[in-house]
Amino acid sequence: MKIYSCCGNDSIAKKYNCAVCGKSEFEEKEVSDNGTVYSFTKIHIAPAEFAHIAPYNVVLVDLDEADAKVTSRMEEDVAIGDKVTLDRIEDGAYIYKKAS
Amino acid sequence: MTGAYVHGIGMTKFGKLESSLKELLLEACTEALNDAGRPKIDAVYVGNFMGGSISNQEILGAIVANDLGLGYIPSTKVEGACASGGIALRQGLLGIMSGEYDTVLVAGAEKMKHAETADVTQAINAAMDTTTTEKNAGLTFPGFFGVLANRYFHETDATKEHLARVALKNRQNGVNNPLAQFPKPTTLEEIMAARMITDPLGLFDCSPMTDGAAAIVISRKKSPIHVRASSQVSGPTKMQDAVNLLSIPAIGESGRLAYEKAGLGPEDIDVVEIHDCFSMTEIIAIEELGFYNPLEGWKAVEEGRTQVNGEKPVNTSGGLLSRGHPIGATGIAQVYQLVRQLRGNAANQVDGTPRIALAQNLGGTGSYSTVHILERV
Repeated sequence: MKIYSCCGNDSIAKKYNCAVCGKSEFEEKEVSDNGTVYSFTKIHIAPAEFAHIAPYNVVLVDLDEADAKVTSRMEEDVAIGDKVTLDRIEDGAYIYKKAS
Repeated sequence: MTGAYVHGIGMTKFGKLESSLKELLLEACTEALNDAGRPKIDAVYVGNFMGGSISNQEILGAIVANDLGLGYIPSTKVEGACASGGIALRQGLLGIMSGEYDTVLVAGAEKMKHAETADVTQAINAAMDTTTTEKNAGLTFPGFFGVLANRYFHETDATKEHLARVALKNRQNGVNNPLAQFPKPTTLEEIMAARMITDPLGLFDCSPMTDGAAAIVISRKKSPIHVRASSQVSGPTKMQDAVNLLSIPAIGESGRLAYEKAGLGPEDIDVVEIHDCFSMTEIIAIEELGFYNPLEGWKAVEEGRTQVNGEKPVNTSGGLLSRGHPIGATGIAQVYQLVRQLRGNAANQVDGTPRIALAQNLGGTGSYSTVHILERV
């Protein structure tokens, strides 16, 4: 997972400017995809484009090697604190799975 | 101090209505204009979110000016997701504060019930940053608050029952409000057992789809109700970038700014309408606005402190959860209820006729927040 950092803030998404210093150059580093479930929800009522896969889990993953989180989708049910890892990237979404 | 005063208010019934978006808008505006004594209007602002995507109807500002015969005056449609109404009101106030206008008509309207739920959910998702991997993962608007709620439960002793108590309070309030969408009483058991929308939020934890409109006339000319402060801020647009998921900084910051402008604090507020798009959101908002400590809002709910007869009455209208949530109208409908409270003729009138009232309107998952503080003078 690529992390963009500036002024002590890590993010998996690059912004145009840092909210603290205003600079547009971010430090880039590659970290492990592994993380811990920070929180989650199971979505039963989905928008039209996701209705065919509902219900599905949306899981906020706290990355182990950065102070950043990733919103992912998971097929398995999870609890806060579970260890998870990236399974695949599908249609622009991070699909996570439980770490074995 | 804005130096602007409330002269008239109007609001349609909220719910599933036969009237078109235009008819709802004109009905609320006409009531507000009549309540204000038909003053000359210098400008119109209309809050609306999905008129284009769901009803194929824009130019709402010009429609109001034209159909109500207000003349060749400036009119503007304002979009800020669920805060469209609050932002429209603020734009009207700024127009008066700048000296450009004496009297402004502000309205909010939405028509949602004619469309399919999946299509409305899709349209509401436009209130997130739709270019992100988290949108691609299937995160929905309610889903954000579901994720937040599960973490809140993890870090506190709050449970789903505390969310249900928020929903129950707002339903009890809504039952007494003839304009509210849901007139039917419910029970804690029914709320707890309702079908799941996005775990742990069930049907009663989520604001409904609603048709409705509300309007307000404001002027630099004096009236018994002064708009003591108006504030607006922007916040994070992505869940994964929240520094603290259990804080919605847009709410806290808009509250802090409004208190500063008003020269007041949370302890001075007598009656409150806040943006309970979800039961969880009401708990976060009463914390962010300083009524209760962070991570302790659920205790205030448990102790009944936010009920009509409590120390800090919150959402005496029934809130979004029971009054209904016609997106663009909500910010104005909140002010409608507070003006009625200050006038002493509200549904669920607070004892002793309150003097200071606060409305907080949220857009997106914390992308926008407005706060307005009203004062009976």
